[in-house]
Amino acid sequence: MEFLKTIRASPILLTINLILSVAYFVFIAAFSPIGNPVMFGILVAAGLFHLWQVLGYLHSVWPRKRVRQFDATFTPPVGVFITVCGEPNDIVEETVIAAKAMDYPNFSIYILNDGKVANRDNWKEAEVLAKKHKIKCITRTTPGGAKAGNINHALAQTKEEFTVIFDADHVPKVHFLRAMMGYFSDERVAFVQSPQYYKNHDENMVTGGAWEQQALFFGAILKGKDTADTAFMCGTNMILRRTALMEAGGMCETSIAEDFLTSLLIHEKKWKSVYVDEVLAEGLAPEDFLSYYKQQFRWARGSLEVVFKYNPLFRRGLTMGQRIQYLSSASFYLSGLIVVVNALLPLLYFYAALEPLQINTMSLALIFLPYIFVVLYTIQLTSNFSYTFRALSFSLSSFPIHCKAVWQILTGKKSGFVVTSKKKVSGNFSYLVTPHLVYIGLVILGIIVGLVREGVSAAIITNTAWAVIYIAIFTPFIMAAFEKTSPNDDEIKIAPEKKVAV
Amino acid sequence: MMWIRKAKDLHKEPRWWVVGLVLGLLITFAIYFSITVFTKTSLRLDEAQSLFQTNRDIGGVLNLVAQDVHVPGYHILLHYWQLIFGNDIQTARYMSLVFFAALIPAVYTLASYVFNRRVGLFAATLITISPFMDWYGSEARMYVMLAFFTVIHQLAFLKLFKEGKSVHWVWYTLTAIAGIYTHYFFAFVLLTEVVFYLLARKDFAAPKAFRKFLIAGVLVVASITPWLLYVNSLGFASNTQPNLNEPTSVDLFNTYAQFIFGFQVDSLNTIIVSMWPIVVLLAFFGLQKNKSTPREAIFFVAAAIVPVLGAFIVSVTITPFFQSRYLIVALPALMIFVAWALSQYPRKISLLLKSILVLGIAGLFIVQVLNPNTPVKEDYRDAVGYLNEKASNRDVIILSAPFTIYPTEYYYKGDTKIVTEPIWDRFSQGSVPAFDEAKLPEDIKNTTQSYQNAWIMLSYDQGYNETIRKYMDGNYERTSAKEFSKNLWVYSYKIRYDPPISLAE
Repeated sequence: MEFLKTIRASPILLTINLILSVAYFVFIAAFSPIGNPVMFGILVAAGLFHLWQVLGYLHSVWPRKRVRQFDATFTPPVGVFITVCGEPNDIVEETVIAAKAMDYPNFSIYILNDGKVANRDNWKEAEVLAKKHKIKCITRTTPGGAKAGNINHALAQTKEEFTVIFDADHVPKVHFLRAMMGYFSDERVAFVQSPQYYKNHDENMVTGGAWEQQALFFGAILKGKDTADTAFMCGTNMILRRTALMEAGGMCETSIAEDFLTSLLIHEKKWKSVYVDEVLAEGLAPEDFLSYYKQQFRWARGSLEVVFKYNPLFRRGLTMGQRIQYLSSASFYLSGLIVVVNALLPLLYFYAALEPLQINTMSLALIFLPYIFVVLYTIQLTSNFSYTFRALSFSLSSFPIHCKAVWQILTGKKSGFVVTSKKKVSGNFSYLVTPHLVYIGLVILGIIVGLVREGVSAAIITNTAWAVIYIAIFTPFIMAAFEKTSPNDDEIKIAPEKKVAV
Repeated sequence: MMWIRKAKDLHKEPRWWVVGLVLGLLITFAIYFSITVFTKTSLRLDEAQSLFQTNRDIGGVLNLVAQDVHVPGYHILLHYWQLIFGNDIQTARYMSLVFFAALIPAVYTLASYVFNRRVGLFAATLITISPFMDWYGSEARMYVMLAFFTVIHQLAFLKLFKEGKSVHWVWYTLTAIAGIYTHYFFAFVLLTEVVFYLLARKDFAAPKAFRKFLIAGVLVVASITPWLLYVNSLGFASNTQPNLNEPTSVDLFNTYAQFIFGFQVDSLNTIIVSMWPIVVLLAFFGLQKNKSTPREAIFFVAAAIVPVLGAFIVSVTITPFFQSRYLIVALPALMIFVAWALSQYPRKISLLLKSILVLGIAGLFIVQVLNPNTPVKEDYRDAVGYLNEKASNRDVIILSAPFTIYPTEYYYKGDTKIVTEPIWDRFSQGSVPAFDEAKLPEDIKNTTQSYQNAWIMLSYDQGYNETIRKYMDGNYERTSAKEFSKNLWVYSYKIRYDPPISLAE
């Protein structure tokens, strides 16, 4: 897997990156004549956030050596949990068959069936399936805690010290346990995580975009976090040590990003984590735009909860590196606000001739271009050239999702845990890109307004170029929303939005 | 299966005869435009200096070049070229054209050696249609020769990087000496190589590369030292710098805009450079799966940036010498990098972007040729022709800046007295004296007192042309004013109304 290959960026390159990033921010914040003070303030805040993100990334990929203890003969009993919440039977069965085939001397498989409490019509299928494959099925009858509640419920009914978690669609490879369990020979290792790989990433634009985003995270970022002892749980393809989990209070049921928050709570207790950079299970990316949208929203909402309610900066027990890494990951979803700010700058100029800075655009170019090129090159290099324009497009174009998550957090609106659909949901999802389409319309109109006001000026040209960049970035995302998929027998006609009762 | 074969053909390298044909067409294009358009333009100041400096024996050539800011390689070559083919400006320009014609296959060779034939051909195309390159490709100056030596030197350097044979060291050292004797700015080419060596020293194929680079460096320094000692012995080193302004970030980006889109009027140039954010978008498009950036591409990035940035930094911090033509060493690398970068995009996008770029360059090429206000045009031919027609032996012609005497005397056939302001006797004074505003009235009085009209030709402003014009406007009656090319003005002033007293009276 190319995305997992390591290209160690030289500290010189990363230091240059750091210097250019700081220089750009300082130039903007301290050495540029201020235009509109409000816009200037917002721009500085956005610049600070950019700087923070770059620092977080550089901290992640900074070359560090970490020697892991691994004992291949360490083979204690393991409980394999397959979490199910109404997923199609064929998908669950494939996972069950693969789990049974795993090469390991001592393990039991459990289907953790949440279909009943989630009012899924097919909830009984999981029990039939378990019976068919002679494995245990733990069906919850009392709701609460969503997926975390399901796992905690199962933990209470099982005894194995080590527990594997698979989502229903994540099919493990034969050597999954052999490759992972040896790390627990270090008694302070609380959990071991392996990548989430989407085997359907070539299916359509949505799966492609979703996977290309994931590739950066499960490649350069999580490998880097591992060396900083901050690899966190990603919900599936992971093994947990019961003792550590219990010490942290079990899987956290108060957040929809239960894996992320539970990792933080475990690290607070000075436990260690390991990230194994080998694809040991293959899952499914959301196959349609609506499912992608919901998945991203859940991640954004859950991560931002950590920023606002469990801010790592103020948690006891974490190292400085862990604080930086957790806050960096959690705050990523604030980037939607920054995209909005940056994308609006050309519009504000077109319609109101407002500028945050009154500087020669070439001076800005002189400081900005080296900064952005070195940042992009560093991302490319450290991700082993797996990061793509489409991934960038999906990340930046998700700004409405991120903004919605921020809004819900700030207003205290509750959000349920919506399981990502494992089947394609058909329908018209163009309404999900309405903000992007409105933006394009405003840009076209704005250019006309600007041209009428001042003719072909340098400022109009530069702002048009910026707006064109944003339109180009939004384009793959918009195309994904409009993508027509071939009729599929398995697909669902607009998924009923059932939420798991929490 | 036909479609499969066709798809494969699309990715096949062009055959050698296709390469030969395309290169032949490109060279023909360059020569055609040079002969029909560029070599027919007026002599320019720098060219006049080239002719002035090389129209004497070798000792005289060296002496004059040493007083200038250049090294003598080009001038010596031009001296012998003129001895063989003649000493008019057209003939002198043909020598540059020879280097330009040779540069096209050289760029192809370099780019195809490092990347592939397609990139090579596209890079050669960009070089050929570059309005900047075409301009200097037929100017009687050393710039295209510098670009040529830069390219064949960089080819040697990258052969050391990839192959590392002994013959490449010889090639590398000789081309470095040729380059440094063509222009001082070749040092920036060597600086780029030092930077690249530091970044990629472990990947060099050449064994014991560090030691051998050191030896090559010593040989290059040893070869240029006699010249530097000679310049120093003449004592002109301290006052041979041209009067240039400190560059700004605008100049920096203008340099790249000129490299690609040529010399355009301010309004058009503003539009071009204001589109800089599009470069960011192209970089975003470059984010592609499994499309790594080879070390050689990094070399071309460095070779396109280090000279320009280096000259900019030195100009800002030490002394201004930032001139886009001096930085022509960065142009081939820039074009090769652009050709490679565009080839990395998905096929349709690549084709679209290449077409837009070629059409854009070609369009601006035409604008540069046709627009009379193109900044680098210096129409001394028409301006002096005007003086030939208008000025009589009862008048005086005053030139500023003083060194514009060179193109003026090339074209001037009349018998009007020609002086400069400040007054400069280039044969006895050496470099141009400093302008003294307090002395201006006396200078003007002395040079005009026995004449009826003064014709003032102002160009190449060294910071005092406006002062001269205002002084003349305030003290004499202006009778005409005409601009021949951008900032090349001829004014006439009535000095006295009575006819000059003749001896007969």
